[in-house]
Amino acid sequence: MPSLRSRLVTLVGWLALVGVIATVWLGLFVTPDAVGFPDGLVRLLYVHPPMAWVAFVAYGMAFLSSLLYLWPRTRDMRFDRLAGASAEVGVVFTGLTLVTGSLWGRPTWGVWWTWDPLLTTTALLFVLYLGYLALRRVPGDPEAVAGRSAIAALIAFVDVPVVYFSVSWWRSLHQAPTVDFTGRHLYVHGSMAWTMLLGFVSFTLAYAWMTARRYRLASLAVQQEDEGLAHAIAERRAEGRVLV
Amino acid sequence: MSPYIEAGYAVVLATLGVYAASLASRERSARRRLGTKASPPAARPAQLERQLLDGAGDGAPGADDLEAGA
Repeated sequence: MPSLRSRLVTLVGWLALVGVIATVWLGLFVTPDAVGFPDGLVRLLYVHPPMAWVAFVAYGMAFLSSLLYLWPRTRDMRFDRLAGASAEVGVVFTGLTLVTGSLWGRPTWGVWWTWDPLLTTTALLFVLYLGYLALRRVPGDPEAVAGRSAIAALIAFVDVPVVYFSVSWWRSLHQAPTVDFTGRHLYVHGSMAWTMLLGFVSFTLAYAWMTARRYRLASLAVQQEDEGLAHAIAERRAEGRVLV
Repeated sequence: MSPYIEAGYAVVLATLGVYAASLASRERSARRRLGTKASPPAARPAQLERQLLDGAGDGAPGADDLEAGA
C-alpha cells in the first residue's frame, strides 16, 4: 500500500495537471484580448511570469536546503538531495522563461534577444545553475561534493534578487513586473488576473511534484549505490572463502 | 491566434510533459534495477555471515579490507 507521502505527491501531481489544463484553456480561449498588446500576445502572460516565479521558488528552495545542509546542527544528506532536485527543476523553468520571453520579444520588440539587464541576468541565472548541476556531477567523496555544491548554490542565489529588481534598478526594455511582490500589487484584473493566479498556483504545484519525484530518484540512486557496495563486499567475501 | 502564442504554449507543455515523463520512467527503471539487484546481496551477506561465524570463512577479506583498498 502506498505511503501517505507517496499519495500526497500523486495528489499534487493530479492537481497540477488539472490546473495547468485549466490555465491553458482559460488563457487561450476564455480571457479577453488586452488593449495595447498586438495579436492577443497578452495570452503569453499566463505562462511566462509563472515560469519565472517557479524558477525563483526552486532556487529559493535550493538556497534554503543548502543553508540547512551547511548548518552543522541540521547537516543531512537529504537537504543536499533536495537542493539538487529543486535546482534541476529550476533550470527547466528558467529555460522556459527564456524561451517564452523570446517568443514575446520577437513580435513586440522586433528581436528574439537583446542584452537587456533583465534578460542578461536571467541568462546568467540559467548558466549559473547549469554550472551548479555540473559541479554536483564532479566525482568525489559525497560529503565533500555536497559541501561545495551547497556553497555554489548560495553564491548562485545572489543573482535571483538581481533578476527581480533589474527592471527597477536599470533602464530596461522589459516592462515592470506584472505581479509586484514587494508592493503586493497585480497589474491585471478580472478573468485575466484569475487565470494568471491559477497559472502561478498550477505551475508551482507542478514544480512541487517534479521536485518530489526528482528527490525520490536521487534517493533511489543512493540506495542503489549502497546495494552495489553490499553486493561487491559479499562477492569479495565469497571469493576469499573460495581461496581459503 | 498569433503563432508566437501557440509556440509558447506548445514549448511549455511539451517540455514539462517530456521532463515529467522522463522522471517517472527513470524512477520506474531505478526501482526495477533495485528490485532485481536487491535480493541477492540482501540474502548473501547474511548467509556468508553465518558461514563466517561457523569459522568456515576465516581469512576472507571483509568490508574494512575493501575500504582500506585491500
